Amino acid sequence: MTGRRVVITAASAITPIGHGRKPIIESLVNGKSGVATLRDDHFVSRFIHSRVYGTVGYPIEYDFSRQHRKTMGPVSYYACQVAKEILEQAGLPRDFVTGGRLGIAFGSIHGSPTVQREIYRIFFNAGDRESYQGIGAVDYLKSMVHTTAVNISKMFGITGRIISSGTACTTSSQSIGYGYESVKYGLQDAMLCGGADEYDTTTVAVFDNLLACSTAFNDRPGETPRPFDRARDGLVVAEGAGAVMLEEYEFARKRGAEILAEVIGFACNSNGGDLILPNLDGITKTLQLGLENAQIQPSDVDLISAHATATKMGDIIEAQATGRVFGTSPRVAALKSYMGHTMAACGAVETVLTLYMMQEGFIAPTLHLEEIDERCAMIRHVQKLEETPVKTAAIQNFAFGGVNTSLLIRKLT
Amino acid sequence: MTRQEIEKEIRAIFLREFEVENPEPDVNLRDAYGFDSIDAIELLMEIEKYLGTELTQAEKKKAMDIRTLNQIIDYVQMLADHRQTESEKN
Repeated sequence: MTGRRVVITAASAITPIGHGRKPIIESLVNGKSGVATLRDDHFVSRFIHSRVYGTVGYPIEYDFSRQHRKTMGPVSYYACQVAKEILEQAGLPRDFVTGGRLGIAFGSIHGSPTVQREIYRIFFNAGDRESYQGIGAVDYLKSMVHTTAVNISKMFGITGRIISSGTACTTSSQSIGYGYESVKYGLQDAMLCGGADEYDTTTVAVFDNLLACSTAFNDRPGETPRPFDRARDGLVVAEGAGAVMLEEYEFARKRGAEILAEVIGFACNSNGGDLILPNLDGITKTLQLGLENAQIQPSDVDLISAHATATKMGDIIEAQATGRVFGTSPRVAALKSYMGHTMAACGAVETVLTLYMMQEGFIAPTLHLEEIDERCAMIRHVQKLEETPVKTAAIQNFAFGGVNTSLLIRKLT
Repeated sequence: MTRQEIEKEIRAIFLREFEVENPEPDVNLRDAYGFDSIDAIELLMEIEKYLGTELTQAEKKKAMDIRTLNQIIDYVQMLADHRQTESEKN
């Protein structure tokens, strides 16, 4: 089934290694980690064994009026900020933005846990009317699973379709993929796509209790996570947001938009089985389907942005699947090594970082990859900064629940 | 509770909770300041705190037709007077 060509005309991210293009590129080039000591939440953080967190440790100047702030939890601040930035970058006319042909695909793993926590605190302590009144009229709007997407629609008057995936770590890679399909098949002419997640210790606690979090580097947070490295000991949860603007190619070209790259393929499938364990066959199939959808060969891909969370089995299975499908031709970089796992945001953040590298002509190495685990050695790891053109890239993401995605982008020549 | 006292308190609530400074008394609050249904619910909670009593569902529903600051003041005055009357009866 053929469709229209889809291009990316704007990109931005709030990450532990910087906000926006310049600081992020500087961090990638200089090998700077955004992992810091886990902040105290005065709640469960004191019980968590993993003391590291991918932290947005710099101020962000928000310029949102109260009319918009009143329905926004912290996750929507991140989401609306990156949305604002890519709307400004893309320069779409106001009548187009509000006219129904621009849609939104944006999500988070579970709305705003900060707001939800306050609701539950009241719920479990409610014994009188005064505490009951502490549940605000807008708490649901701030914390519901599609809060990011609808706060973006409200703030900018966007009236097209809303897609709000909540598939954990594939949330925003699905956002971009489903946005791509929406434009490709003519359902929308443009889609604002991305994902965000706020500082949240309950997510850390879940992974910590699954023994999936990094703990061996608590005294050296800047040295973890370590994807594909023999000394890796688990993932590091992080906060952040990423977004891209997708447009139909002819529409973007005619209005003179800067085209950052073309989205050439997307695939999503599920393992149909265990909800936690990585699945070699499922992931292999996803990567194959992505290439088929893009109608390219494995050797056409120059760079793979691996999901690579730095868990023991996850990295091994991903390396094996990647090796099966791509062999040793494309370079493989694990961008979570710089900032940890930004959860719902990771697919979009990693797409934005890949776009930056594509534009600048370099590949950032997988940070802390000092000694490659021999069980992950069948792919072409990047261990030092490489100045090289990147024409075609694949962004791989996998989620709890057994959801897998593969997104393929290509630089226009 | 005089009308002036109520007006002073309502204006303070508008500034503190809704970031609206010195609202015009007879303009449509939605048109002029973007005061919407979410704000209306929050305002009712503030009025309950100010009066120190819970509003009945019927009283709250009456507030849904309010459009201006003067109408809010009238509404709070009516609630306060009603509570004063009930208190004197008892």
